Amino acid sequence: MSAAADIERAQRQALPFGTGPILLGVCVAAACAAPFVLNGYGLYVLNLTGVFALVALGLNLLTGYAGQISLCHAAFFGVGAYATAILTQTAGVPYLLSLLVGGLLTACVGAVVAVPAMRLKSLYLAIATLGFGVVLQKIIFEWRSLTNGGGGLALSPPVIGGYELRATGLYYLTLAVVTLGVWGAWNVSRGRTGRALLIIKESEIAAGALGIPAARYKVIAFAISAFYAAVAGGLFAYLVRYIHPENFSVGLSIAFLSMVVIGGLGTIGGSIVGAAFYVIVPELLRGIKDAPGLVFGLLLVIVMVLMPKGLWGLARRIGRRA
Amino acid sequence: MIANLIVGGLAAGCLYAMVGIAIVVVLNITDIANFAQGEMAMVTTFFAYWLLNSVGLTWWQAVPIAILFGLVQGVIIQQVVIRPLIGSPVLSAIIATLGLNIVLNSVAGLIWGHQTYTFPSPFAFSAPFMIGSVPVPVDAVVSIMAGLAIVVAMTWFLRFTWIGLGLRAASQNPTVARMMGVSISRSSAIAWGLGGLIGGIAGILVAPSLFLDTNLMSALLIKAFAGGVLGGLHSMIGVFLGCLALGVAENLVGAYVSPAFGEAITFIIIIAVLIVRPEGVFGRVKVRKV
Repeated sequence: MSAAADIERAQRQALPFGTGPILLGVCVAAACAAPFVLNGYGLYVLNLTGVFALVALGLNLLTGYAGQISLCHAAFFGVGAYATAILTQTAGVPYLLSLLVGGLLTACVGAVVAVPAMRLKSLYLAIATLGFGVVLQKIIFEWRSLTNGGGGLALSPPVIGGYELRATGLYYLTLAVVTLGVWGAWNVSRGRTGRALLIIKESEIAAGALGIPAARYKVIAFAISAFYAAVAGGLFAYLVRYIHPENFSVGLSIAFLSMVVIGGLGTIGGSIVGAAFYVIVPELLRGIKDAPGLVFGLLLVIVMVLMPKGLWGLARRIGRRA
Repeated sequence: MIANLIVGGLAAGCLYAMVGIAIVVVLNITDIANFAQGEMAMVTTFFAYWLLNSVGLTWWQAVPIAILFGLVQGVIIQQVVIRPLIGSPVLSAIIATLGLNIVLNSVAGLIWGHQTYTFPSPFAFSAPFMIGSVPVPVDAVVSIMAGLAIVVAMTWFLRFTWIGLGLRAASQNPTVARMMGVSISRSSAIAWGLGGLIGGIAGILVAPSLFLDTNLMSALLIKAFAGGVLGGLHSMIGVFLGCLALGVAENLVGAYVSPAFGEAITFIIIIAVLIVRPEGVFGRVKVRKV
């Protein structure tokens, strides 16, 4: 598909007028009501979905829009988690502020990673970013005075305005941040930056000819994407309340990439659907005795073979037909 | 000391190289980075083990059958999973191979369990070669020779046979290749068959040095990709040498610089090389028409 068609699609409303906002409203209402219906475990799974959805939103801007593959998002996620945790726990910064600072800090790291990435393509980029992921994870592991290394960090519940956030409070915080994240991604993707990224994905030479500085926009995309991952990391740290360098390995980076592709490259809804698929399906399969891995792997293959554009592409098609 | 380290690094590097060559055959013809390559090789190796131990064939009988099994396996996987994805975004196919990776791993786990086996090798008890005063394990020599033989054979096949020419055409420009009567889906099937075959050889040669279990290949896969990128994915010999260099670099860095940061430093070296040569050391930067 050409960039022009991509941009046109991005500007067009997928659903008949009015249906989109209504569906969105129903989803938000359901998400708000969830804590009253679900038990603690269900709420945890939903919260984790929200956290991963946030990473997927950021990664989708980078991979789906700008066409850059990153295998270091687990490390960004980890840097964000550690930065937030250390700022809150050790330095005594208020939780919300340290989420923001952790995010900005990691955005700088993301911009640094983007610099060598500017010349690299496809698999070369994947391996280079994978290398950065390994290095960042190793730094977290070895910087023992700050991160307690292999011992991990145990965290106490965060406090916002004198109110201690338990499971429900944390869930609403995640929900609010994800909503903000969707709003941000929506604006980035439909604005000047989103259009520039789509052209860069298609052809950097064409982008250059149109006066779009590809290098600068790639750095911006990496930074925004790292910011999303880091804020999600900050939420994750306090959701599980114990973080360890091993949590943020290459496997998680690959999982993030899978979420984006399963959900649908270059779509905002796809990021959320993909994260939900990746978190909720294995939890549902846990009951199957012999091989949850087997069924999950098969589902992954089947989804990709039948819906190469991801789950969101299917949802969009059904929505248009209805 | 340093000679021993280099030999050890070469021995590890040739394990990466075997997997790397299998990956790059599929990658260069179909553009798909096959994350299931390691698990496909693992299944083939388990099949060989089953032929040896339960059927009771000798090594020289079992190995050709197993390699053939690898070829058939590759073609079947291509027909079922990859063929419907021809023309879709490459990332979708890559994620499908990732799913396949999980499937094959669980299937092997169900059939053979998660214990480790020792895989026999006809070269296991031969005395090591001596180069000067440095002992060189025979396994490593066999692997390097086999790797070189595969590189030469594949280069010859791709350059001097009609089928090979078709494969290269299909990878360079699918539309024009199709107009010239090259079947894209058949090229892809041949590539996957070859990948499965080479992967099978790799698994059988790798298994005696490591222990045979369902995670035989998981550590090698990423290293094979990294070594391939270092050498340059478009050149078969580049992948081979890149993987060998990676093995040596890992060993030397681990011994002389820092054992804890060994892997991280190796990756920093790779990133540094890529900054200077974005297509790998042996890669040619493709001139693209606008």
